[in-house]
Amino acid sequence: MDRKIAVVICFAFGLVMFAQYFSAHPLARSVNQTIADYWQIIFAFALIVGVVGFLNNNFQQVRKGQDRPFRLLSLAGFVIMPVLAMIWGIKTGTPFLWVFENVQVPMQSTVFALLAFFVASASYRGFRARSVPAAILLSAALIILVSRSFATGPLSDWLPGVAEWIRNNPSMAARRAILIGIGLGSLTTSLRVILGIERTWLGGGK
Amino acid sequence: MRLETRHWIFAGLFLLIGVTLVSGIKLDLPVSPDTQRMYDLIEKLPDGSVLLVSFDHEASSLPEIQPIARALLRHGFEHKLRLVGLALMAEGTAIGYRLMCETAEEFDAEYGTDYVFLGFRPQYIAAILSMGESIKATFPEDYLGRPYDSLALMRPLGNYSDVAGVLSIADGSFTTHWMEYGGRYKLKVLAGVTAAMVTTYDPYLASGQMQAMVSGLRGAAEYETLIDRIGGGARGMLAQTSAHLYVILLVILGNVSYFLKRRRAN
Repeated sequence: MDRKIAVVICFAFGLVMFAQYFSAHPLARSVNQTIADYWQIIFAFALIVGVVGFLNNNFQQVRKGQDRPFRLLSLAGFVIMPVLAMIWGIKTGTPFLWVFENVQVPMQSTVFALLAFFVASASYRGFRARSVPAAILLSAALIILVSRSFATGPLSDWLPGVAEWIRNNPSMAARRAILIGIGLGSLTTSLRVILGIERTWLGGGK
Repeated sequence: MRLETRHWIFAGLFLLIGVTLVSGIKLDLPVSPDTQRMYDLIEKLPDGSVLLVSFDHEASSLPEIQPIARALLRHGFEHKLRLVGLALMAEGTAIGYRLMCETAEEFDAEYGTDYVFLGFRPQYIAAILSMGESIKATFPEDYLGRPYDSLALMRPLGNYSDVAGVLSIADGSFTTHWMEYGGRYKLKVLAGVTAAMVTTYDPYLASGQMQAMVSGLRGAAEYETLIDRIGGGARGMLAQTSAHLYVILLVILGNVSYFLKRRRAN
């Protein structure tokens, strides 16, 4: 019974959202605004679930003694940031923004920058022209790579044109095919969910 | 510890980037049509036009995103546009706020009149749709908690029909959502994106769903040339160029060694 109620609610909201999209009537606009508001509120509650899960998981691991220093550091960050924001605010020059700029941003940038080293290593060890398709892929990648750099001399005359051709033809054709596929897939899945054919989101197989 | 090939590769990359960053060489970059299109579009906007600037990125991509954002913000303030900042990703909030304040200071722009930062809203799709109906209902207060109606710039703004467009500074697919959901309200979408996202947005640019795009450090460096203000884009471009050439050299060396080994095996 409870599943049927969920399916009916899903069907009703799916139908309403679909119908209001095609209407500029004030009532349709108002429905859209109200549902968007509730959507944000529901999402904010979903964040609470994430926060509780984070705390629960970390406290459990601390109790077990697993990666204790790292877990404690995570929990400290979780407490310190809101406290800094509540006491000194979030304007420029406040401790909150200082910690964000000088701890979180460098840490994330560092992890992301490590990719450059892995790419360099992989380019030597893995990027091989083992077959004709691999050779074509390799050539296209090298042309695009040089085109995104600073190329001088004779290279600068023809390279941007070739790179542009690769972007506008083979690359865009593949991308469009993927996008159309995603669009059709999303449409089918949405219809299946709205019509109650697809019910796995309710947490069961049937 | 025994040093392996990869360790030498890492050391080579580190040294190369370090040396190029301190060398201070100036690059004379030709401006690509994509970047020129963005510049022309902003130039064509009448003085006082309101442009939404959405910081839809994480902190990890800041070295690439920041020069793009700064160059575009500088052009906006210089051209007397009124900028309304917001973020659809939590991490973009503090970054966007700082960037807007710093750039505004360069041009003596006044908060509340020339620019405003609205802050972050969770659930990007709902936020984009909601702003299409009412910006005030979506952001009743700005980032610092000032009421919407107390900000002179915001008071006359109802929804997307009152703004010239949105400039999405993104390191992922968020700009797609601006086009998909903002497109319903005929919102014009401009983008400043990381180089890795260029092929994702190419079809949208070609179809006219996206008006203009500046991409990667190269785009930032080109834009800096256009507005005649050299910044992080040109500096980063030098390091990026050397790293790209290093990767190309490694690919060539790897393939030469592969074919030599294969010939010997045969």
